[in-house]
Amino acid sequence: MINAATRAGIGLRILVALYLLLATPAARTWLEATMSGHMLVQIPLLAALGFIACRLLPEAWQETLLAAAGGPVPHVVVALFASTWWMLPRALDEALTHLPAEAAKFVSLPLLVGLPLALAWRRLGSIGRGFLWTNFISMLAVLGWLYIAAPVRVCNSYLVDQQESAGWLMVKLAVLLFAGWLASLFVGGHAECGASDITGAKAAGTLGRASPQNST
Amino acid sequence: MATYAYEHRPDHGAKAGVLAYLATSAAVLLLMMVFGLLMRLEQAQWISIGADRFYQLMTLHGAGMVGIAAIAGASVMWHFLRQYVDLSSRIFIANLVLFLAGVVMILASVLLGRFHGAWTFLFPLPGKSMGMWSADAAALFMGGLLVIGVGFLLLHLDVARAIVARYGNFARALGWPQLFGHDDGKAPPPTVVASAMVTIVNVIGLVVGASILTMMLVNLYVPGFDIDPLLAKGMIYFFGHVFINATIYMAVIAVYEILPRYTQRPWKSNKVFLASWTASTLMVLFIFPHHLLMDFAFPKWMLIMGHIIGYLNTVPILVVTGYGALMIVYRSGIRWDMASKLLFLSLFGWAAGAMPAFIDGTITVNYVMHNTLWVPGHFHTYLLLGMVTMVFGFMYYLGKPDHETDDRPIDRIAFWLFTSSVLGFTLSFLYSGKESVARRYAAHLPEWVPYDRIASVFAVLVIASALLFVGRFFARIGLARHDYQRAPLARAATA
Ligand code: HEM
Ligand SMILES: [Cu+2]
Repeated sequence: MINAATRAGIGLRILVALYLLLATPAARTWLEATMSGHMLVQIPLLAALGFIACRLLPEAWQETLLAAAGGPVPHVVVALFASTWWMLPRALDEALTHLPAEAAKFVSLPLLVGLPLALAWRRLGSIGRGFLWTNFISMLAVLGWLYIAAPVRVCNSYLVDQQESAGWLMVKLAVLLFAGWLASLFVGGHAECGASDITGAKAAGTLGRASPQNST
Repeated sequence: MATYAYEHRPDHGAKAGVLAYLATSAAVLLLMMVFGLLMRLEQAQWISIGADRFYQLMTLHGAGMVGIAAIAGASVMWHFLRQYVDLSSRIFIANLVLFLAGVVMILASVLLGRFHGAWTFLFPLPGKSMGMWSADAAALFMGGLLVIGVGFLLLHLDVARAIVARYGNFARALGWPQLFGHDDGKAPPPTVVASAMVTIVNVIGLVVGASILTMMLVNLYVPGFDIDPLLAKGMIYFFGHVFINATIYMAVIAVYEILPRYTQRPWKSNKVFLASWTASTLMVLFIFPHHLLMDFAFPKWMLIMGHIIGYLNTVPILVVTGYGALMIVYRSGIRWDMASKLLFLSLFGWAAGAMPAFIDGTITVNYVMHNTLWVPGHFHTYLLLGMVTMVFGFMYYLGKPDHETDDRPIDRIAFWLFTSSVLGFTLSFLYSGKESVARRYAAHLPEWVPYDRIASVFAVLVIASALLFVGRFFARIGLARHDYQRAPLARAATA
């Protein structure tokens, strides 16, 4: 039986290893060779590493960090801007040609996207999370369309057909995510005692806060 | 077989938010009716405001009516759903505030910016005005719709949150354990089932709608980002159709909740009821291509799907609800008052309005009837005599001074005036459609004008009776907040 602290320690070590793996020239060359690999694999993975790492930090640290920047909303805003930046074709080009930009990408995605999102997530409540999900899904689809419909080649480093296939992947991903999110509303959770019983009306009370939707 | 017994629950007054929703809807409804009358008068050649004004009015009328139908429907849903789950008042109010902000944007776009590309903002019209309006005006209109959409998204997310908190998940809220397994009689009440269905379909519709609106906003300023017009049409109709359909699925909750109080018979969420709502949850999502039957470039399977689902979806909820209402009322000795009469009438209106759609949903008929006034004939019947009538019934119910109060003679007259004039008004649309009068024409041929004149007279009578209903609601708005028994007990129930 290992305790939570050591388990978190092991988890963090695995994450660091994965991070270093992503940073190796071989992995970078491979993932950055295509626009889809760059935008839809490498970048989300970097952000995800930050997200999971944050979850492994001691609860108290997370609270301190969250409070330090003024609650969940500023965190979401930071994550939004940082992630939007790395969706710009220019930013991708920079990362490919300038090492400092590449380094900035490797630092900012975990620290300015994954971490703040993870800090804010728990506090958002299911409405906030649902709002972020639905907006993210619709923006992903629109972004996909932008890449498909772009009248010009947007990146110096990638050809037009790369652009199009990345766009279609985004659209498909958006559809899949949406279907998955909707499906998650249909499974799991448990009814409150007597919930199916009409006479128990209004017993719901304030339990609404702690919705069993954590998976979303 | 499960047994169902009527369980009496206290009759709750409306929260201030619900009344704010209803007051907004009622005021905008009357104004938009007047705009509708002006359009009819223009077609009847009794006034002459010009084509530009006509299309501005048509844009406002379409957007305004759809908007307040949703607001009024949401108020019915929220009022009753609150009795089962814990809803957030703040989100409810936030939706109204966002709605009003969107309305201001839309009004500015149409009245100041002279946008008149219809509420359906069909691509590429908003961006190709031939100088009639600016890109900014079109953007303001679509931005207004986006803001309204954001409000409704929040409202539905709150409903989803509350339903999940109480029932665990949507499968249970739709009664699937009882539908697909043993019916233990403990399926969620009709209100919860209906709210769950509306929430699912509207969240999907709103996400699709927001996507196409954003795409069109980009295209407006950077036309190089081209949109496939067929894709745009599909997405717009998907969103618009789901959204307007959902209004009646919200408003019908008033029927489920109020009619049983009169006769003390339960509205059962039995297998048939649950099956109809689950079936419609799916079908509402796939029915929209029946508006695209003329678009030969659409994939054939989509059109056939629209045809078949259009047929099928006419049946479940409508028939089950109509039958349910008859079971509640049949030999119950129900004592009719304005609220119960209007609610009962609304089911007739819904059914009557669905029939023309059923006919027009047939591909061969559609080649002839599409884009004629037959279509406004169909949706004015189910919206005016169905959806809006449900809301009037709800308003009368909330404002009823006490359960023994008799209706005033003038209200009774207004009821019959409303019923007959709406029928006259919508039948004029339908008859014109049968005579191949095109819809959305500001100027009509001389041989069409007589129908327009008849319709105009009926429209005046519709407005007069609606004015009385709304006036009565405002006069009694103070009562609406209190908790007391409103429904007179049926003779069979008291005996
Ligand atoms: C006194 C009541 C009403 C009158 C006089 C009226 C009149 C009209 C007229 C003349 C049109 C244009 C028909 C055409 O030539 O294409 C129209 C369209 C429309 N009406 Fe109404 N109407 C009334 C009530 C309603 C209600 C209660 C609703 C919905 C809740 C509604 C929703 C619509 C919609 C969605 C359109 C389509 C606009 C478009 O084609 O873009 N109307 N109405
Ligand atoms: Cu339709």
